[in-house]
Amino acid sequence: MNTISTLVSMLIFPGGLFLVLAGLFYQWFDRKLLAVLQNRIGPRWFQPLADTIKLLAKEEVIPNGVNPYLFIGLPLVALAGALTAALYVPVAGVAPSYGFSGDLVVVLYLLSLLTLCMGLAGANSLDRFSLVGATRTLTQLFSYEAPFLLALLGPALVAGSWQVGKITTYAVNHWLILTQPIGFIVALIGLMGKLEMPPFDAPEAHTEIVAGALTEYSGRGLAIFDLGRAVELIVGLTLVSSFYLGGVASLPWFIAKTLALLFVMIGLQSLLTRLRIDQTIGLWWRYGTLLVLVQWFFMAFA
Amino acid sequence: METTVTSKSFTVPIGPQHPALKEPGHFQFTVDGEVVTQAYVRLGYAHRGIEKAAESRNWVQDLYLLERVCGICSHIHAFAYCLAVEQLAHVEAPPRAEAIRVLVAELERIHSHFLWMGVSAHEAGFDTLFMYSWRDREKVMDILEGLTGNRVNYSANLLGGVKFDIDATQAKAIREGLDFLEERAGHYLQVLSKDAMFLQRTRGIGVMTRTEAEVLGAVGPTARASFVPRDMRLTAPYSAYRQFPVQMVLDDRGDLEARFEVRVHELFESIRLIREILNNLPSGELSVRLPRRIPAGEAMVRLEAPRGEVFYYIKSNGTDKPERLKVRTPTICNLNSVIRLAVGHQLADVPMILAGIDPCFSCNDRMVTLTDAHNEGERLMTWPQLRQHGIDFYKQVGK
Repeated sequence: MNTISTLVSMLIFPGGLFLVLAGLFYQWFDRKLLAVLQNRIGPRWFQPLADTIKLLAKEEVIPNGVNPYLFIGLPLVALAGALTAALYVPVAGVAPSYGFSGDLVVVLYLLSLLTLCMGLAGANSLDRFSLVGATRTLTQLFSYEAPFLLALLGPALVAGSWQVGKITTYAVNHWLILTQPIGFIVALIGLMGKLEMPPFDAPEAHTEIVAGALTEYSGRGLAIFDLGRAVELIVGLTLVSSFYLGGVASLPWFIAKTLALLFVMIGLQSLLTRLRIDQTIGLWWRYGTLLVLVQWFFMAFA
Repeated sequence: METTVTSKSFTVPIGPQHPALKEPGHFQFTVDGEVVTQAYVRLGYAHRGIEKAAESRNWVQDLYLLERVCGICSHIHAFAYCLAVEQLAHVEAPPRAEAIRVLVAELERIHSHFLWMGVSAHEAGFDTLFMYSWRDREKVMDILEGLTGNRVNYSANLLGGVKFDIDATQAKAIREGLDFLEERAGHYLQVLSKDAMFLQRTRGIGVMTRTEAEVLGAVGPTARASFVPRDMRLTAPYSAYRQFPVQMVLDDRGDLEARFEVRVHELFESIRLIREILNNLPSGELSVRLPRRIPAGEAMVRLEAPRGEVFYYIKSNGTDKPERLKVRTPTICNLNSVIRLAVGHQLADVPMILAGIDPCFSCNDRMVTLTDAHNEGERLMTWPQLRQHGIDFYKQVGK
């Protein structure tokens, strides 16, 4: 019985299948709303799912000059990393399936695994767009990672625990967005950087470097990377909204809060112009990190 | 596959097929990290042989052919051709026809500048502005459709005049449309000159000084953004611009921001001019008869297309076909500046610098005569030779 419930929680709900489908739905929400804000019609609700199915059914072309094992393996590792991270996060308002003291750090590392895999996938290729894209992806990783981590450690400090589950329980009674507004802003924008949403889409700026690190990917590999991103979108939204927006104790609250957060992110996407990679680094290290440190400074005295 | 490093430099190819290019062209940017150290352009992927084709059609047929030189500024090419042919035939279009030609030319400028604004914003990753400006561009296309019946190749010109008149209902529709466009252009000017994130990508980027612009032979808004007073509507007034003068829009900053602002201010100027023409439309005929055979001679006209100076040369030998026809479009004049300005900039700025001149590749692709530097002579190839050359070339590349 125990095994079955573990398997269900890992593969069907709240992990696995549910995560993937929810991620695709949230991707649709992102695309649709962005389209509406930009005066377009936007895709129908099943478009991301249809794209995924189509890509999965297609032949995967392995270009010359790449290491085929890495080429096939990297997307899988990326998706696995994102799915594993979800197990420690209260997805869908259900308490995390697993948890141990300090799992917040593990979750953040697992989330970075996707970006790292994309960077490696780009570097594995001989394609010049991929190489530039890979450099940019990894550069961006190094620029937002520290402030994002610091922003998420703020709630951990006040909760007195580095375990996602415990911080979430603490956050249910404390709307940390009110006490740590700067941290929230940095976490929100950090999440946009992590997901390579505009204006942080320099690593895949298609008017410059086509599709960045994933230029050579097609078919299954591309679909799996996309799924990884969809899952990461859910996990990232869950983390930030459960930490800062008064927790996600039930499914309705989960949906309401994560969508509200996504809504804000979509608004920012439609308003802002893409940053150059040097501007991205400048933004994070000159302002992002400093702002979080200011936040910590206030927390130390408050 | 075995990989060998053949050179230390890292070259990013843009084109012939690339998302930043809407038409085929080929650019190579050698980069050091993100900074461009060398730039190279190769054109000719969209050569259509229009000049040659024009020589085998009669004067009337050429009008329709040349209107298709460019998909955006179609009217200006027909306009230039008509002016040149009328010059050869020693006739002048009636004043009302001239006014209507200029009116359509200015509507076309509005259409082209709105389109350009969207494309450039898209290159910078600001898709919202792209979508909005293209939505608003529909308005001017509706006006043009109501006026001429076509959205793109308006076919407004006849040799010796225009095909249609403007009645009160149409004039009202144009005025209403212009009010809307003026309001929108005002809004975009606010966005382009105030939005801090967008200014990060335009202010101080791709700066071309006045001297550079003059040396590189830049034309049109690109030159005027570097304070080069070069606008054919004023420097060499033609057609109804003599009765309805425009004001030149100049900017001394020479960066991308200036190029954006010059074009938006030109929108206002075009709107003002169209209103003035509508208020003072000369009365009279719409066209005059032209002889079927155009007298022998040469004609040359220079017109201000939305992108800059367009040049037409026509040689007639007295038959019903032109003997030689030469078109030079503004893009070829401005491309030099892209190659020069890209060096030293970030790779991310290159698409914007390229879009900043409003390039149109298929308009500018012309036949070139190969001149061998060693043998000091022109090298002409017969068809089998050219074919063999192609086979050898690609074998070489494929190695």
